[in-house]
Amino acid sequence: MRESKLLKLLAMLFAFTLVAAACGSDDGDAAGDEDTTEATDAPAEEEEAMEETTTTAPPAPDVEEGSSGGTLIWAHEQEPPDMHLDDPNNGLSITSWLRSALIEGLYGISGATEYYPELLAEEGVVTENEDGSVSISMVLRDGLMWSDGTPLTANDVSYTYDIITEGCDREDDGSIVDGGSEGCVYFTGGYTGTELITSIEVASDTEFTINMASFFAGWKALFSEVYAAHAYGANADEVNANLPEWSNADGVLPSSGPMIFESWDRGVQMNMVRNDAYHGSNSPDAVNPGVAFVDGVQVNFVADTDTQINSLKSGEAHIIMTQPQLAFGERLSTDENFTVASSAGPVYEHWGLNVLNVHLSDPLVREALAYGIDKTEVMAGLYTPLFGDSLPAEGLGNTFWMSNQSAYVDHQKMYEGPQSDAAKANLEAAGYADSGDGIYEHPEKGRLTLRVGTTGGNALRELQQQLIQAQLAASGFEIVIDNVDGGAYFGERPFSEEALAAAASGGAEGDPTVWDITQFAWVGGPWPGGSAPKGITGNGNNPYGHSNADYDVRAGECDGIVDDAARADCYNELDRYTTTLEIADTGLFMIPLTQKPSYYGYLSSVLQGAGVAPDAQGAGPLANVVDFQFS
Amino acid sequence: MFIFAVRRIVTAIPVLLVATFITFWATSAVSNPLDRLATCQTCSQQAYDRLIDLYDLDQPIPQRYVSWIGDFVTGDMGQATSQGERPVSEIFWERGLNTILLAAPAFVLLTIVGAVTGVYSALRQYKFGDYAVTSVSYLGLAMPTFFFGLLLQVVFAIWIPQWFGVKPFWSSGMHLESPYQYLRSVTLPVLTLMFVLLAGDSRFIRAAVLDIKSADYIRTARAKGVSNRKVITKHLFRNAMIPIVTLWSLNAAALFSGSIITETIFSWPGYGRLFLDAAFQGDVDLTMAIALAITVLVVLMNLLADLMYGVLDPRIRYD
Repeated sequence: MRESKLLKLLAMLFAFTLVAAACGSDDGDAAGDEDTTEATDAPAEEEEAMEETTTTAPPAPDVEEGSSGGTLIWAHEQEPPDMHLDDPNNGLSITSWLRSALIEGLYGISGATEYYPELLAEEGVVTENEDGSVSISMVLRDGLMWSDGTPLTANDVSYTYDIITEGCDREDDGSIVDGGSEGCVYFTGGYTGTELITSIEVASDTEFTINMASFFAGWKALFSEVYAAHAYGANADEVNANLPEWSNADGVLPSSGPMIFESWDRGVQMNMVRNDAYHGSNSPDAVNPGVAFVDGVQVNFVADTDTQINSLKSGEAHIIMTQPQLAFGERLSTDENFTVASSAGPVYEHWGLNVLNVHLSDPLVREALAYGIDKTEVMAGLYTPLFGDSLPAEGLGNTFWMSNQSAYVDHQKMYEGPQSDAAKANLEAAGYADSGDGIYEHPEKGRLTLRVGTTGGNALRELQQQLIQAQLAASGFEIVIDNVDGGAYFGERPFSEEALAAAASGGAEGDPTVWDITQFAWVGGPWPGGSAPKGITGNGNNPYGHSNADYDVRAGECDGIVDDAARADCYNELDRYTTTLEIADTGLFMIPLTQKPSYYGYLSSVLQGAGVAPDAQGAGPLANVVDFQFS
Repeated sequence: MFIFAVRRIVTAIPVLLVATFITFWATSAVSNPLDRLATCQTCSQQAYDRLIDLYDLDQPIPQRYVSWIGDFVTGDMGQATSQGERPVSEIFWERGLNTILLAAPAFVLLTIVGAVTGVYSALRQYKFGDYAVTSVSYLGLAMPTFFFGLLLQVVFAIWIPQWFGVKPFWSSGMHLESPYQYLRSVTLPVLTLMFVLLAGDSRFIRAAVLDIKSADYIRTARAKGVSNRKVITKHLFRNAMIPIVTLWSLNAAALFSGSIITETIFSWPGYGRLFLDAAFQGDVDLTMAIALAITVLVVLMNLLADLMYGVLDPRIRYD
């Protein structure tokens, strides 16, 4: 009798739960039912993508097909400590991803990892002066407006420069002394390149000229955000006080991007609303030329990846973006209600070789390693099933230019495919012979055993290591996996004090035996000049021990070449030092594997148009927020 | 009783000092705020100087601790560098309230359900009801918190909506827009917290009640013809309460100091997640404020339990 009462109680509780669920209000629904303006036509490929999805579950918000409105909900694991991108306490990508919807710069970065004029009407014109200085003339787009109705003018560019360089010690010509290390008030001052600016001359509301002491190849990156002179603060201290909360004494800071910051419920969510004064996106990837379709964006801070996926599957979120872990792909890519979108971002994985290692110091062995790695099998086995054809099937063959950039050349074409015979031939030429179990050994250097290490805990990386381990076993290499969990790997292995000292001194100091092969990701971008230090003798970004005087000289020249094509060739030349033995036998200290794909899951049963960007690693899901549209 | 309480509070001060010093030393030794600048290739010397100044990093840890204590007792809880340099005092109360909004219903539910199932199980010893409660208890003991939380999400947010065509009864994060939204966001984390702790509670209360159940005075009461309900409520449960009160005080301390796993899984912005984030990022001021709050909570709960003993058992004197 008592048991039956208990069962009845449980049944009542369950029924109550169902009733409560069924009677729920629509307060939290994503897509609202406000205005219903006409939608812009979606491109053909997006329409096709829609047809592949179904809308059985979960329940969709009540929005007319193709209409504007609704709130896009993005569930993301990280919450920024504040909204000040240049605050040293704030090194999280999420901050720049959020700000990408709020504020624009002179140039943006497209899905092809190339610059496009964002606030500019056209490309800037570089003029070389006789004294070696350069002047870059620029013209802003007509009708640019801040969200509060104030025109966005060339004075805002000049103001931005004044703020970020306030207090810095200057040379006589106006450029900044010693990389901005002295006197600057603005926190970090990303002064690379900015230090060369001597002045900004404003000719009119839209025309201005940036004068630089000498040419800087990354000049398009200099004003990736332009601040509002009338609202962001009278001086650097005020700006530093206003940016963290994205507000000043009068309220939220005005936007030049498609969204306006609205509120931030810390630990829970951030809200943005549409900027109806938005001048339209210039991005070649954006489909919608006008203001955003959605009324706003709600960013839910969901720390757990499984919870993110559950949020997506329950319709509580429309898009998530996370590390390309296997579980994520398996749980979503098999569900027809969701689309998993990925793209080749500017971050790339590589195997870095310690050229001070007793085996790897021989270029023939390094080349044997390159022959032994079959990147096509790695791509076909691990990446293509998860990320589709967004990555090149033959893997990456360049460490300066990414596969989706126009200057990209695959310099490792000759190592493509399974070439264990070539690998063994190289080893034999280097004096190695089969020890009897398929692994080669050298009469003096011993058995060909090499350790490969990375940040442990990433399933995709570890599987990749195991796959290559098996490939290299067929080529006579014994690869031992030697990972260290998390970020501690870097400090304990390739970037340890002992290892760096060895790399810088050619093995005379420190300990060159700390590591043999490393696997991690470097960040590339539209300006590859930042990639050059990894091969410069003694540089802190060069743990490989590579040393070549010609490379060092050439690396210093590339960024000074004004002509775009010639400069691109120069970077490609540096890459041939890096990934081949064509120029010098000190080369081939890096084997690029693949670009690290950005990875989105979105609720395709609810979203008609999704602005999921190429280049998300650099820009985040809000890069093309204008394109998101509910069904 | 008043003098006893005062004495207990005074004797708690060394406990607080030791606990806070250990936390301060561990946080300072393990995570250095300057590490945040390690990945910042363009950070100026001013950025370093600023952090050194903010945390007195140029001084030894004991000296820093004394400095922190000095600031704290004068009401300056410092700035939370892991939270955009907001005042710690502001975040402390904000997140404290959030924790209460999760912990209070969990504690109330746990107390009621734990007592009911524990007593029921004891009274139905070795019968179906006892076995059912015992089985569920062991399930709760065996199931990791994160797994149970995720299971609840899948069942309530995905499966039930799919099977019955209803809206998911779950919303990640904490939502206070309306009572309904609060219920939607708090129900699953509360169930998770309750279920995980319920197992131990239920077994503990069962054992306590069983212990009393066979006592002479219970048999005497029954022999005198006292009703079953009166025997249970007046004699049995009340006498079993002393160990149970201890359990409740521990539960309260555990729940109100924040649950890292449950808060992470359900994105609840309470002390648990905040403490973890702050500690990992070397945010000493915030870590210390939460650690101190947790220590005070534990001390207070123990004091409360001690005071309750006297109420429940008049033989106990506070000399």
